Amino acid sequence: MAKIDIFVNDQPVSVKEGTLLLKVLEAQKISVPTLCHHKDLKPEGSCRLCSVEVEVDEQREMVTSCNYPVREPIRVWTETETVIKHRRMLAEMLLGRWPNVPAIKKIARQCGVTESRFTSDLTDPNPKACILCTHCVRACAEFAQEHIIDFAGRGIKRHVAMPFEKVDPHCIGCTSCAYVCPTGALRIVDDLNNPVNPTLIRNHGMKVNAEMATLDAHQCRMREVGTANIVSVMNAYDLLPVMNYRFGTHEEVYKIDGGILKEKYFTQNMPDGCWKGCSMACAKTIDNFELRTGPYKGQLVTVDGPEYETAGGGSNMGLFDMDAIAEFNFYCDTYGIDTISGATCIAFVMEAYEAGIIDKTVTGGLDLHFGQSGSVLELLHQMSRGEGFGVDVGHGIRWLKKHWGETLNLTDEQKAFLQDIGMEVKGLEVSEYMCKESLAQQLGYGMAVKGPQHDEAWLIFMDMVNNEIPTYEDKAQALYYFPLWRTWFGLYGLCKLCWNDVTPADNKMTAEPQKVPDHVNNYFKFVEGMTGRKLNEEIMLNESARVHNLQRLMCLMLGKGRRNEDYMPYRGIGPVTKVEYESRQERYDKQLKEVLGIDPAGKTTEQKMALIREYREEQYDKTLDVVYKRRGWDPNGVPTVERLKELGIDMPELVAIVEEYKRSL
Amino acid sequence: MITINNRDQLEWTPGMTVRDLLTAMNFTYVLIMITVNGELVDDDDYDTFKILDNASVRAIHIHHGG
Ligand code: SF4
Ligand code: SF4
Ligand code: FES
Repeated sequence: MAKIDIFVNDQPVSVKEGTLLLKVLEAQKISVPTLCHHKDLKPEGSCRLCSVEVEVDEQREMVTSCNYPVREPIRVWTETETVIKHRRMLAEMLLGRWPNVPAIKKIARQCGVTESRFTSDLTDPNPKACILCTHCVRACAEFAQEHIIDFAGRGIKRHVAMPFEKVDPHCIGCTSCAYVCPTGALRIVDDLNNPVNPTLIRNHGMKVNAEMATLDAHQCRMREVGTANIVSVMNAYDLLPVMNYRFGTHEEVYKIDGGILKEKYFTQNMPDGCWKGCSMACAKTIDNFELRTGPYKGQLVTVDGPEYETAGGGSNMGLFDMDAIAEFNFYCDTYGIDTISGATCIAFVMEAYEAGIIDKTVTGGLDLHFGQSGSVLELLHQMSRGEGFGVDVGHGIRWLKKHWGETLNLTDEQKAFLQDIGMEVKGLEVSEYMCKESLAQQLGYGMAVKGPQHDEAWLIFMDMVNNEIPTYEDKAQALYYFPLWRTWFGLYGLCKLCWNDVTPADNKMTAEPQKVPDHVNNYFKFVEGMTGRKLNEEIMLNESARVHNLQRLMCLMLGKGRRNEDYMPYRGIGPVTKVEYESRQERYDKQLKEVLGIDPAGKTTEQKMALIREYREEQYDKTLDVVYKRRGWDPNGVPTVERLKELGIDMPELVAIVEEYKRSL
Repeated sequence: MITINNRDQLEWTPGMTVRDLLTAMNFTYVLIMITVNGELVDDDDYDTFKILDNASVRAIHIHHGG
């Protein structure tokens, strides 16, 4: 951003273009009185207290500094006779009307005013009177996005009110208005759920509200397009799953990204929360969407979404067609099918179809080449009706691999191919990230207790892009901390998005920016405010680890929960097919040469693929060993009795599960 | 030659700014934190901050979503 040289009270100052003048003055430690200005709200420019004189092209004028962006070399004076006279007049008028309000008295002092000539019938002696600063009205609109309160009446009758001067039941009770009120004119009279320390909760919650109001538009745009904002990001970093995770990018991504959703699909033009009062409000909908297939064909419906995962599921099935993705989204929701499992499973079926492992005799005549949206939707309808090939597909990838292995006349090679490309772990389909280049993420998926869901660990940037966790131990530490932290939300039933889908402006200055320490602290303070219990990182990790280890033991009781359950299919680790290798030949050849010390020249793609596979699978295994150790588990991924003791969950019945497993070895 | 994230190499060009580096690396993500030889570069200075040859640059993508 360009810098502009300006003069403030004859002193040269270099300013980033577009900076609001009041900010410049504050940075110069120049005292300027303000009333309508609030650091977390958009500039309003209504009280005119912050006026200063500005000279542009030899023309002098008074401007309100709080909403004046510096765009050209200007000269600014903050203490001229005209400015002082203007401010004093305003201060006197304010003091005349609200003589006892501390905020007004402070402004008056700042302007050198102690008495007012303007006392009248309007004079209100209440020290907590409303001073018409507009903060509450703007907070309701900008923090809560509700527009419940506004000004009513004109001139001397102007006052803050809800519609028709009645308590509006649509008020969500978020208390943003009271929080920003400088006088106490708005008070909170009730705190639901009897929290131990509502102020503590409010102070931290309001910080997030303010960040959403001021930073989101430049960061993740959650209010504008929700999680779909990352479709194009994933594509740019080769992480968007394309055609059953074969590739990470596609030239037609613009047909399914946040841009097209915003431009042509999302309606209501307003942020929407999954609960009323959420200031992140990332939920999005498409209204009046006309369905082309299925039982509601021809009807206009509301589609709840699509979110990133559903759009990513689209690319995974080769659907670069937002109409098809929206309809897929609607029918998955209607039938109770998870869009991730549905899309990943169909992507697998499509690859098996293209590879000739199944044909139309198996699919009941459906053409299941990638991108066949009609067939995808028909499969969904069949699943819901319990008919045809849809019944088989509805069982998921693990079942299909076994079923086809038993009923089709497949070669060993074909069976192995299905194992490689069937993206499921523990029977659950993998979510929509292409993770071949991130070892830590492969393990994040492979080791997740419930199956390969990214909410336990999303380490791709830290690992693949940033190279922040290069050693096995670094990866193990990340695979210790993040899954415990990220599943801790679930223990408390709290949404994860206000952890890292907006980050504080100074997050970069912290020691561990990936953890977003200030936001971790918000959660701790929330729990403390609700329950009185103080938390810190160690307590949080142990709380989560207790549940994590219990879950692992439950898996063990069910005959699972061991090392063999923690492997990713090879498609998630490296190139299964020649076309994948060759599409990223430079990357893989480089790995052969620089990491393995093998000259790729003269080798066939098959030979190179085999070498890469051997190396990558070995890496996976080695990392698994280190992560198990870090988690206090044995080399088979079973929690040790010592670990149970450490966590205080060494109850006899739990120890017995581990002992029984040991005997079975 | 510039080293990025202790791993990737990028040919240095005279007058190279942080913005040039982001473009060359196709780092289009928003939440990126850049340090050049350990010095944190303000987002607003990406167009003007000059990177010297042989610099070690960290381009830390602060993940969101997921
Ligand atoms: S409590 Fe929230 S929704 Fe209700 S008026 Fe205040 S800011 Fe608006
Ligand atoms: S109620 Fe409070 S915040 Fe709202 S206008 Fe009056 S003084 Fe300002
Ligand atoms: S602070 Fe009110 S106009 Fe600037």
